[in-house]
Amino acid sequence: MDPALDALLKSQPALWRGRDRYTDDNSIPTGFASLDNALPTRGWCIGGVTEILSSQQAIGEVSLLLPALSQVTKDNQWAAFINPPYVPYAPALSNAGIRLDRLLIIDSKNDTNTLWAAEQVLRAGLFASVVAWVDRTSAQKQRRLQLAAETGKTWATVYRPLRDACEHSPVAARLQADIIDSQLALTLIKVRGGREQTIIIDPAEFDDSQGVEWPVPESVVNL
Amino acid sequence: MWLALYFPQLPIDRQDQHSADEPRAVILHEGPRKRIMACNPCAEAHGVRAGLALKNAYALVPNLLISDFDETEQAAHLEQLTLWALQYSSWVCPESPDIILLEIAASLKLFEGLDGLLHQVSRGAKEQGVHVLLGIAPTPKAAELFAKAGMQKPIINMAALLETLAGVPVSLLPLDDFTLKGLRQSGIQTLGELRAIAPAALTRRFGSQCTQLLYKLDGRLPDPKEAYKAAESFSHGVDLPLEAPDTGALAFPLNRLLGALGGYLKTRDLGVRHLDVVLYHHKRKATRVPLKFLDATSNIPHLFRIATERLDAVTLDSPVIRLGLESTELDSLEQHGRDLFQKSQAQSNSIEQVLDKLVARLGKEALYTALPGDDHRPEKAWMTALLERQQPPTQWPARPVWLLREPQPLSEDMTLHTLPERIENGWWDETDVRRDYFIASTKGGAYYWVYRQRHHSTQYWIHGLFS
Repeated sequence: MDPALDALLKSQPALWRGRDRYTDDNSIPTGFASLDNALPTRGWCIGGVTEILSSQQAIGEVSLLLPALSQVTKDNQWAAFINPPYVPYAPALSNAGIRLDRLLIIDSKNDTNTLWAAEQVLRAGLFASVVAWVDRTSAQKQRRLQLAAETGKTWATVYRPLRDACEHSPVAARLQADIIDSQLALTLIKVRGGREQTIIIDPAEFDDSQGVEWPVPESVVNL
Repeated sequence: MWLALYFPQLPIDRQDQHSADEPRAVILHEGPRKRIMACNPCAEAHGVRAGLALKNAYALVPNLLISDFDETEQAAHLEQLTLWALQYSSWVCPESPDIILLEIAASLKLFEGLDGLLHQVSRGAKEQGVHVLLGIAPTPKAAELFAKAGMQKPIINMAALLETLAGVPVSLLPLDDFTLKGLRQSGIQTLGELRAIAPAALTRRFGSQCTQLLYKLDGRLPDPKEAYKAAESFSHGVDLPLEAPDTGALAFPLNRLLGALGGYLKTRDLGVRHLDVVLYHHKRKATRVPLKFLDATSNIPHLFRIATERLDAVTLDSPVIRLGLESTELDSLEQHGRDLFQKSQAQSNSIEQVLDKLVARLGKEALYTALPGDDHRPEKAWMTALLERQQPPTQWPARPVWLLREPQPLSEDMTLHTLPERIENGWWDETDVRRDYFIASTKGGAYYWVYRQRHHSTQYWIHGLFS
């Protein structure tokens, strides 16, 4: 792009740009440049389910969502966590810039209730983001969620165990999260309009997520 | 203008139509004799009809299910239907035992004309599970007469009324048998012929009752009707014709009560905030199922969904014999101005409905938002609260997004990364916390929030996950 034009656009935040409009309608920027570039929607897909299958916990699989969730709740829109595996810790969420009074947490206890609640919330179309954690689900149930997300035009994320990675799932996108060389690696198992590829998220991109400067400095104490 | 609703099958209508593939009848005791008062279509198909002696009915249908006619229950049903009818007119008068009169001249505009109103009333009656015959006339007596005679064609002006009345057979008039017999013996067959008789002679021959009826029919005698006035709070019940062993069988009577509640809320321009569904048992304390709403609501389909979902979760110790509905808290409805360009108003209006639905199935404790407390001891820095306004956030040092409810002893080998963050307060109450917190990572690349007690420095505990 012409540098002069670029400078003009940057100096005029109120200027309407066709491309922004396009992305606004179909996706929410993830906040991670490499991930945005890899996804055909240039961000988390609105009106579809994104599955995240994580090989283990505590590797940054939830932090992936925090920048976009922060954006959504700051815009005064609702987000929901359904059946989170642990207590969502308020200080970390508010560190990430999430407005806590816009984040509804639903303790649905079992998979049946989780899927039911997710479908209700998605279908209502009143929540901008719905994140659900399920253990056992099926292609048919995931399809229901995908349809509900399409109906409600909602950004939906479902966390599933890695063992289900080879099962068929009719959702918009599926991501596998692993650690490779102490960096978070995301494999796009399936994405509508995209190709299978693996992207590495540089720890620095987590940008003080959870109040920690990533990568965490080398060990201070050894156990 | 008056609309008369005549419920010819009221005794049997109070039974569930959906489970009606078995023959059922309501019987009336006349001294030692028992006669059929009303029966459902299934029994009718076998030849049972009103007026038949019970033993004859049994001869036709040996497996006929019978229940006794209950006058007070029917009066209660009529009152509930009166409440239901209040959504169509503010001037509603129940006429025992099976007629409701509505003044509808004032309602026509709201319901986009007579056809629109009649369509809505018929559909509403169907939802209420009652058979109804409609009669429309300028006088209440004539409307009642047309409804009972099955003359459904609306008569909207006096000229048409007089013309129609002239052709009505006298046998349809609500007069006692003696007077009807007298009329028959005099060779008077239609109302037109009756009207031709001079009033004085009419009174002398057939009694003042007959004259008054005639005058009320064509409006020569005023026929004031007192409007039904709704009580301060809503409390109604339905005796179940058959005991309900589980809550699944309660949908039909619940629908009927909610229909009455809908009319009640409409006429008082209120919404319900707290509603109790009461399940009565035989010789046992009643079960109360409270329904609480974030905002007062008058949306009946919504209430029905919430209530059935809530009832599904109730397990019964003993069968239900009666279902009640009591409003314990009524409130004025929030009136949201409709802005043509603003969509968010409508949205904030219905998020409560989504939440109500979730709460109805998952329980109130299942929904909350996280609140950052000013007490930064980890266990207490999160609280549960449903949809409350919060203070602006404060910036915290390193905190994990997931917190374990109960810290777990660390068993794996981990690398500690940061200098300890000392959290040391709360010694004055029971949860004494003096801990050094670290960020620790496993060989696999997972990051945890771990601590050790200040004076037991060998054992480490996992308290959170930097997911």
